[in-house]
Amino acid sequence: MSTSGDLASSASAGNGRKRFRLTFPVILFSVLGVLGLGLFAFVTIRPIQVLPRISLGPGYFLTDANGEAVTNEDFRGSLVLYNFTYLSCEEPCPVTTDTMQAVQSRLGEVDTGGIPIKLVTISFDPARDTPEVIRAAAAELGADPAVWTFLTGAPERLKWLIGGGFSVYYEEKQPQEFRFDPAFMLVDGAGVLRAEYRTAVPDVDRILRDMRLVTDEVHNRQGVANYAYDAAHLFLCYPR
Amino acid sequence: MAKITDLQESELSTEKPVAARILSPGKLYALVAAGLLLGLLAGWAVIRVSQGRPLFGPGEFHGLVIQSPPPLSNFALTATNGEKISLLDFRGKLVVLYFGYTYCPDVCPATMVELKHMMEALGRDARDVQVIMVSVDPDRDTPEKLGEYVTQFNPSFIGMTGNENDLLGITTELGIFYQKHDGTPATGYLIDHTATVSVLDEDGRLRLVFPFGTTGEDMAADLRRLLP
Repeated sequence: MSTSGDLASSASAGNGRKRFRLTFPVILFSVLGVLGLGLFAFVTIRPIQVLPRISLGPGYFLTDANGEAVTNEDFRGSLVLYNFTYLSCEEPCPVTTDTMQAVQSRLGEVDTGGIPIKLVTISFDPARDTPEVIRAAAAELGADPAVWTFLTGAPERLKWLIGGGFSVYYEEKQPQEFRFDPAFMLVDGAGVLRAEYRTAVPDVDRILRDMRLVTDEVHNRQGVANYAYDAAHLFLCYPR
Repeated sequence: MAKITDLQESELSTEKPVAARILSPGKLYALVAAGLLLGLLAGWAVIRVSQGRPLFGPGEFHGLVIQSPPPLSNFALTATNGEKISLLDFRGKLVVLYFGYTYCPDVCPATMVELKHMMEALGRDARDVQVIMVSVDPDRDTPEKLGEYVTQFNPSFIGMTGNENDLLGITTELGIFYQKHDGTPATGYLIDHTATVSVLDEDGRLRLVFPFGTTGEDMAADLRRLLP
């Protein structure tokens, strides 16, 4: 504003030409300024948002409701939302399967571009959550077997997986009564942990948005966008 | 040095009109700024090239890169000489971990051969790399048997194993599973296991995961970029 005013007034004064020549430093500093502003805008406005690549997700070998073996490798290429509970969990036990149910019913809202989204509930109570119990509970929750898998296994394996791998606390305080920290984990198709929701009732909108961010990144990473996504990770352009 | 004296001279002005005319303050600042920029660019180029990466482009790794590598838990397992060796003993070296077992019919020998090729491709850099095969079959793989097995691929290779609890802890953290199942009477029981190769850096952080089938040359190229 003021510069154009100066320009007009100095031009009318007759000596303006000299003061606004495109000299080398002017060009240099304008280029640097534009680059700096561009970077600032990229980091603050965040046109590209990504989820952090937190760590490598844990490996496991468990069995599903039909007694079939399921490993972490079976979900390679899929985006997986995990929760950890026991199926006889009732109030005041924090019920987390409700959220899984809500996510399942709203999966249609996420355009994943062909990337399958899976839900996995891991029970840390293998003594009572037998295949029959699991099948009954899954039917009651309306779990689509193509989407939602229920897993359990030997107690020491579960402890290493849930406690060690996902860092989620659980403990059998009394027979048939577990104390645990409710948690949900989002693991991407490369087996990398992308989001943790350590609460009993996470925001389903947020989970769906995060799923969209991960699948969008997979689809958009081509050519120049690759660098933009790398920059977004470098400058921690995480969603707010 | 010359620039600074020039600056002073031009600031002192009138007595030295020649210097002032050649390098006016504006031009001098531009020159310094351009010099700084060039220096930064050159430094960046030198760092990239010294890391063995191309000047432009990210230079893809062949393995899966773990972006914010968390420190891996230390573990101590029984090595092939019968001693307990822990991960801490290998600080300062790149550690290449492979989980398998000596009775493994197909996948393990194939991967071990690639690891052998990797060591050959690394040449002199191989002395900064330690390959460790961890047996997930401690019942059958005695330290002697394991030692015999790994050294036939490369004399520097080390074999380790431990009890079920130790093995579960390490494998889970590295995204690896393993499970015994029945084989034929000829093979005895078999063990299903993830066939990836994990690379830990000098500080014991998980940096790379190679999928099964990565060639020795590709692994060597990636390892070179992790070496200082």
